[in-house]
Amino acid sequence: MDLNQLRKVAAEVVSRDDVKYLIGWRRGTFGYRVAPYFVEDAAGVDELIFSPLCISNLATYLTLVEKLPVPRGQEPDKRKVALLVKGCDSRAVAQLLVEKGVKREEIVVVGLPCPGMIDRDLLAEKYPETDKAAELRWNGEDFLLVGEGEDIVIPRAEVLAEKCRLCRHPNPVLSDITVGEPVKPWAAADDSGVAEIEAKGAAERWDYWEEQFSKCVRCYSCKSACPLCYCEDCILDRLDPIWVNRAVNFSENTAFHLARAFHLAGRCVECGECERVCPAGIPLGKLNRKLAQTVREEYGFEPGLDPEAEPFQASYKPDDPEEFIL
Amino acid sequence: MTEKPKLGVYICHCGINIAATVDVEAVTEFAQSLPNVVVARNYSYMCSDPGQLLIKDDIQESGLNRVVVASCSPRMHEPTFRKALQEAGLNPYYLEMANIREQDSWVHQDREEATAKAKELVAAAVAKVRLLEPLTPREVDAEPAALIIGAGIAGIQAALDIGDAGFKVYLVEQSPSVGGRMAQLDKTFPTLDCSACILTPKMVDVANHPNIELLAYSEVEEVSGFVGNFDVKVRKKARYVDVSKCTGCGDCAEACRVAGRFPNEFEEGMGKRGAIYLPFPQAVPAKYTIDPERCLFLTRGRCGKSPKCVDACQPGAIDFEQKDEIVTFKVGAIIVATGFDVFDAAKKPEYGYTEFPNVITGLEMERLVSASGPTGGEILVDNGEEQIVPKEIAFIQCVGSRDQSVGNEYCSRVCCMYTAKQAHLIKDKIPDAKVKVYYIDVRAFGKGFEEFYDRVRREGIRYVRGNPSEIFKRGNKLIVKVEDTLTATPLEDEFDLVVLAVGLEPRADDRKTIDLLRLSQSPDRFLMEAHPKLRPVDTASDGIFLAGCCQGPKDIPDTVAQAKGAAASALIPLARGKVSIDAQVAGVIEDTCRGCGFCVSICPYTAIELVEINRMGHMVEVARVNEALCKGCGSCSAGCLSNSIQPKSFRDRQILPQIAALGGIK
Ligand SMILES: Cc1cc2nc3c(=O)[nH]c(=O)nc-3n(C[C@H](O)[C@H](O)[C@H](O)COP(=O)(O)OP(=O)(O)OC[C@H]3O[C@@H](n4cnc5c(N)ncnc54)[C@H](O)[C@@H]3O)c2cc1C
Ligand code: SF4
Ligand code: SF4
Ligand code: SF4
Ligand code: SF4
Ligand code: SF4
Repeated sequence: MDLNQLRKVAAEVVSRDDVKYLIGWRRGTFGYRVAPYFVEDAAGVDELIFSPLCISNLATYLTLVEKLPVPRGQEPDKRKVALLVKGCDSRAVAQLLVEKGVKREEIVVVGLPCPGMIDRDLLAEKYPETDKAAELRWNGEDFLLVGEGEDIVIPRAEVLAEKCRLCRHPNPVLSDITVGEPVKPWAAADDSGVAEIEAKGAAERWDYWEEQFSKCVRCYSCKSACPLCYCEDCILDRLDPIWVNRAVNFSENTAFHLARAFHLAGRCVECGECERVCPAGIPLGKLNRKLAQTVREEYGFEPGLDPEAEPFQASYKPDDPEEFIL
Repeated sequence: MTEKPKLGVYICHCGINIAATVDVEAVTEFAQSLPNVVVARNYSYMCSDPGQLLIKDDIQESGLNRVVVASCSPRMHEPTFRKALQEAGLNPYYLEMANIREQDSWVHQDREEATAKAKELVAAAVAKVRLLEPLTPREVDAEPAALIIGAGIAGIQAALDIGDAGFKVYLVEQSPSVGGRMAQLDKTFPTLDCSACILTPKMVDVANHPNIELLAYSEVEEVSGFVGNFDVKVRKKARYVDVSKCTGCGDCAEACRVAGRFPNEFEEGMGKRGAIYLPFPQAVPAKYTIDPERCLFLTRGRCGKSPKCVDACQPGAIDFEQKDEIVTFKVGAIIVATGFDVFDAAKKPEYGYTEFPNVITGLEMERLVSASGPTGGEILVDNGEEQIVPKEIAFIQCVGSRDQSVGNEYCSRVCCMYTAKQAHLIKDKIPDAKVKVYYIDVRAFGKGFEEFYDRVRREGIRYVRGNPSEIFKRGNKLIVKVEDTLTATPLEDEFDLVVLAVGLEPRADDRKTIDLLRLSQSPDRFLMEAHPKLRPVDTASDGIFLAGCCQGPKDIPDTVAQAKGAAASALIPLARGKVSIDAQVAGVIEDTCRGCGFCVSICPYTAIELVEINRMGHMVEVARVNEALCKGCGSCSAGCLSNSIQPKSFRDRQILPQIAALGGIK
């Protein structure tokens, strides 16, 4: 990745009168971590980076920004928001466009073909972080840890994030400007990473999810990080009527997770944010990818590929086989 | 609600329909114990006059303000009881029904368990009824006009009835002439009157009727709106003939450079026509039409030195510059009368329909015996070698009907009788012919049908019970291979002509109409009526009715009867001049609506649109329901992630307590 090229493009974008800011990544304040970064002017672009640790999905910020009341007589700020997107992030943007969560004219999309991201937990297991600054780079197929001493080559298989191993769309599905060359997709189209769970019997699966859901502390991080959970008044927060009680126990946690999973069926773009941010280590990706797989197989539908598509929940085919309906 | 709830609960015996399985006394006692219940009663027929009177009296005497009726499905009697509430001065929407018949007594045997279930259903209804809000239905004006789609005998009859009643009718027919399939028939069972003789006068009537605007060679392109107020857009296809000038003399057709080159659809491909044509001599309107796919001038830009039709036409009616024309109008009701297709015999390859010229369909037979048909009524067939008058003739019934292998489980209801009719007509024309009919069952259910069938058998037509497995050729004869299932004898019979009594199928192009009007199909793919017994001409959409074979196979008497029924139903809003709009519709909670538009795409009645509102200085889109279009079906609600759209009387906060009560949660 040619960072100078990225920064040049970013500088041009943020200098535009009709752009409010650009959302990207920069180095964090600890070890090799990276953090989201809001660039407001051209001077800020020097800190922008794109590295194998830029795993977070910035599309979430598009809907997270609070729309403060506009005083009478004033106009709301209508300037565009620019953001950097990887393949999966771009799918979130496409899905947001489909469901009118954002409008096309409100955003500038800078697409970055993605060679694959590192799962920081796997990395930290082998190469514990220190407070010394270090950084990660792509090195052919593999990764390179550039720190104090000698550079260390880290084999791809050791630390590649699961969602990236299964990723079918590493190149952005939409962008106004693309920086970098397209990458060759590497994943088998039909692998959702759920074969192992599917092979279990119903009772075993129940035990598995009971154990997982019981761990949930109901911090709602998964919902907050999800680019597609942006309802003004989420039913999971609602008090009248109460769909899911506040109690943190297996029953309510299960209701919470199933409701969310079904709300994401046909919408989830498999960006993996929910699982990544979960402090309890719940494999939410498996749940969402299973539903995504079902939607692909039973309805021939894959969300977040075409910003012009009809939303899955609302589309209908007269010749739908409906084989699964009894 | 501000006033204290005072509930009345009424448990119906429905004769013994409910009382035999549910202990109604026990349920009444239980209901009495529920919170806020002032009276609980049971009665043999709640829907009867005295039953309704119980409710009305209690409302007036005990000051009830909410009513629960535990009886049958609300689809049956909700309107009845709502009316009772209204007559007693209570808002009609303060009613909740517990269905203890269809959902309980009819589907269970164990009295104890059925009684326990009835109690739960009643408790759930009681939990909900307290939370209902008063609603007021609205009335809007109805446009005093009707649209009829399809001008077969069904559409023609409905148009005449509505026109005669004094209302405007727009009759849209996609082909160049009205008449439909009936125009193709020769004589009609069971009375053998000539089809043209009874149909042609009606065809002429619709064309001349002062109240009927005939839009032939036209297609409905768009329909929006709701009962009483439909906006319709129709495309009048270019005929390339100025109908105000065309006298129907036919000089053009004779002159056409490609005259007699193409199969004539009306003759089932047996007769030929040119690029400019009249489908059949009695066609209405009697105006010629140029087939844009066949005309040399229209396809290649030139036709010799100058188009021959233009030269031949004295009044100068040919107009190659003519364009499709769009007409729009408003109607209060719509009747769909799009008719049927016949089963494609090629789908039963074992009968060799595409292989042997002397294996023909029943509809082709109609044209062959018709005096106006391609042979002038002489029965002549090609046996692969020469044109002959067939002497040995077979009919095979149920081709494409009652046959799961081709996906048609239903009986087409006319093939038994048209076979008998055609067998008789053949005997009439070729007295020494030997005619055999292979049947599975003979269904002669209509008035005069059995008598007709008896008469035909007495004429020496032989009926053989068996479903032929194959037709093949031996010499210049067709061999029908079949087992006579009454004597268990395998047969290989020889024939000169085999007629396949093909069944009726839904029109392949009905999809267009279904999408246009958002109609439903029953499992047999025909258009679905609102209720198979009690609303056989209505559809699920108010103001849209069905007539004729588009709803299911039927003969002409039944088609006409249904057309008259549909006309009478369509006349109700037209004659009343007003339609009432149900108040139980969906409402949007604009504060939480994301404006995603899922509901807009989901709504089967196109009742929702996105509108822009000002939310604290930001212009945002939210959903808005057109209450006149909404049916309260709740589909939108199921699709809305943030539950921002909910049907009134079925809001979350109304049904969640109901569900909780079902689970025994207080
Ligand atoms: C071989 C055969 C023999 C029969 N013999 C007899 C008999 O002897 N006696 C008897 O009682 N019955 C008989 N029937 C049954 C009879 O033909 C039907 O009952 C009758 O034709 C049904 O009329 P219809 O108006 O419903 O449909 P149709 O006659 O099919 O008319 C439908 C009309 O709608 C038009 N249309 C379709 N779609 C559209 C659209 N989207 N827009 C505009 N126009 C449209 C079509 O062009 C057509 O003109 C016979 C049927 C067959 C197949
Ligand atoms: S559910 Fe998880 S994987 Fe799916 S879009 Fe949301 S954050 Fe991404
Ligand atoms: S869980 Fe459902 S309601 Fe809540 S934010 Fe996500 S999509 Fe919206
Ligand atoms: S992030 Fe994890 S712990 Fe928090 S609510 Fe989601 S699943 Fe539960
Ligand atoms: S009502 Fe619900 S489904 Fe409809 S636009 Fe609003 S949020 Fe979307
Ligand atoms: S309830 Fe909703 S989906 Fe059903 S008709 Fe009304 S608006 Fe349409």
